[in-house]
Amino acid sequence: MPTMRYREALNEALREEMQADESVFVMGEDVGVFQGAFKVTKGLLEEFGERRVRDTPISENTIVGMGVGAAMVGLRPVVELMTVNFSLLAMDQIVNHAAAVGYMFGGQVSVPMVIRMPGGAGHQLGPTHSHSFEAWYLHVPGLLVAVPSTPADAKGLLKAAIQDDNPVIFIEHETLYGQKGEVPENGGASRFGEAAIRREGDDVTVVGISRMAITAEKAAETLASEHEIDAEVIDPRTLRPLDMDTIVESVKKTNRAVIVEEGWPHGGVGANLAALIQEQAFDWLDAPVMRVTGADVPMPYSKPLEQAAFPHEEHVVQAALSTFKDT
Amino acid sequence: MSEITMPRLSDSMEEGTILKWLVSEGDEVKRGQAIAEIETDKANMTYEVDTDGTVSELVAKEGDTLPVGEVIARVGEGNGAGRSSLDAGREQDEPEQKDEEPDQEEPQEEPEKPEPKPDQRPATSDQPSSNGGERVKASPVARRMAGEMGVELAQLEGSGPGGRIVKADVEAAAKDGGERKPAAAPAAQRGEAGAKGEVEYQELTRLQQTVTRRMAESKATAPDFQLVAEVDMSAAVELRKRLKEVADPAPSFNDMVVKAAALALRDNRRVNGAYRDGKFELYSRVNVGIAVAGQNALVVPTIFDADQKSLGHIAKDARALIEKVREGQVTPPEVSGGTFTVSNLGMYGIDSFSAIINPPQAALLTVGALKKRAVPDDRGRIVARDMMNLTLVCDHRILYGADGAQFLARVRELLESPLSLAL
Repeated sequence: MPTMRYREALNEALREEMQADESVFVMGEDVGVFQGAFKVTKGLLEEFGERRVRDTPISENTIVGMGVGAAMVGLRPVVELMTVNFSLLAMDQIVNHAAAVGYMFGGQVSVPMVIRMPGGAGHQLGPTHSHSFEAWYLHVPGLLVAVPSTPADAKGLLKAAIQDDNPVIFIEHETLYGQKGEVPENGGASRFGEAAIRREGDDVTVVGISRMAITAEKAAETLASEHEIDAEVIDPRTLRPLDMDTIVESVKKTNRAVIVEEGWPHGGVGANLAALIQEQAFDWLDAPVMRVTGADVPMPYSKPLEQAAFPHEEHVVQAALSTFKDT
Repeated sequence: MSEITMPRLSDSMEEGTILKWLVSEGDEVKRGQAIAEIETDKANMTYEVDTDGTVSELVAKEGDTLPVGEVIARVGEGNGAGRSSLDAGREQDEPEQKDEEPDQEEPQEEPEKPEPKPDQRPATSDQPSSNGGERVKASPVARRMAGEMGVELAQLEGSGPGGRIVKADVEAAAKDGGERKPAAAPAAQRGEAGAKGEVEYQELTRLQQTVTRRMAESKATAPDFQLVAEVDMSAAVELRKRLKEVADPAPSFNDMVVKAAALALRDNRRVNGAYRDGKFELYSRVNVGIAVAGQNALVVPTIFDADQKSLGHIAKDARALIEKVREGQVTPPEVSGGTFTVSNLGMYGIDSFSAIINPPQAALLTVGALKKRAVPDDRGRIVARDMMNLTLVCDHRILYGADGAQFLARVRELLESPLSLAL
């Protein structure tokens, strides 16, 4: 199986889908000549030309609005926003239009659009560039939300997102672009709503969102080697649709759940998932569902403060241990 | 909200075991009301609260052993346990919601549980019983499995955070046949059969542990010696016959020994003392302990100021104390404060015996069986007399041979002319 970086996997997905379907096109700030702020669109302008790889002005609401219009008339736009923070400028187009149009017109039109954007902290980019807003988009009916954590998922899920007839919020993690991983050759699109069990275990279920799936896996190794706790690590990969079956089945086996996310605690992905778990698996729980989240503050710029503001391996280990004993 | 802590019910008490809660969470309690039965190193006793209020939480479970000063329960003012948990929840980093209508939150003290459907909720034992038991802290899965497996949650000790009963506890209990030995009775286990046959291991009760520790301590530290004296009890036997006609209960020979010893102690102050930390301690009160077999161990209740009490009074005190020991109701104050001990095995036909000093007391007097023996009288003729052996066990650090001998001689003298005891 070939090994490639997360950004290369995304690039391959775009290239393959553009080759396969002429209605697919890319649009965003600096995606053409500059080849993307994170080089995800590298080589696309050269291969597909200006008509299908379009540089836009710095105007997020307009970029997304153009995408919604293009999608309504039959194209498959892939819009890149430079960070998830900037997507807030396009909230009106995303929430009031992209998500709602299909419902407003009784299914006569659909919006087969992908909005890609990187989120997350770790590069000292301060509060205007480093947040994790998965929860905001998860909140909106009509939007699908993908949060890939590996190169293979980045490719498989982006292909699936482009092929899907619903608008998809595709959140990449800024610190993962350089990560290498195996990607199946000639792999097709992944399926939305299918969680990945990253590590099997019987003692506690740890659900990691986006990059936190990786943190959770590391924590699981520590739990096994130092605490004789065999954690099962689940990466949901897509938050809507969410593969509750896999999560509930795991919780019924382990009787304990810990949810790890980089976003804020209140109204977060973990808060939502904790509610779902207790609704669906209450009689199988041996401990309260624990959440490990980012700090309840705007992301600091200072390196030590930034590091302190999102979860690390030890926080996950602590949370998992607390489901077994007083810590 | 006031916290009830494990009380120090005796001087030597370091920890106590909650044998039984006499109240439930949510109960109103009044100052002076007994709320728990507590086992200390010396006795089982009831503990009374010193505040009015509502029991909001029973922190310790029945069978829990906690050090003195640990919180065993919380008593709040006003009504209801639900309040505090609501308050705590509200404090937790929730932004203030002033615009919320207040009546949406306030009245729900304890969220009403929906009526369980009969097929959904197996008959778990943790539901508050009609006599008002507290809710057992158990995880949802433990609760469900306990119902399915017929395990009594209230009988389990939780191993989860904060003592929560978790799945593993229920599984372990189901393996044991759903039974757990009550905390008060020591658990017996059986070991591998060897050359000695199958071994049964018994845990010591707190009282047995105390006896074990104190006896070993005494034998290891007190250099003891014994003095034996034969006492002619014929006059005492005669006296007792006459007392029987007028007194109920009639004083026993042991009561007479207690009284005689008490009078002798008053005149031999070091016998009524102790060697402790390089000093002699001489006590102003004469408090004679009587060794009583009971509670699967040895208990020594005290007859206070025995030198001041009449023989009849001593007899009454002794009966009451012995009864209490046998029923396990003797209180720490009743087994404290002894300055001397009398131990009697005469009823078993033992002629004389040595014993271990009850530390830190200076001496202990043992009483053998009263028997008719052939003894020469003043004129050398062999006659049958009622004879009894007394053995004084002395701590040589405070009592020397002559001290002990003087004391013992005085006891004999008093018993042989017992009218002075009846005064």
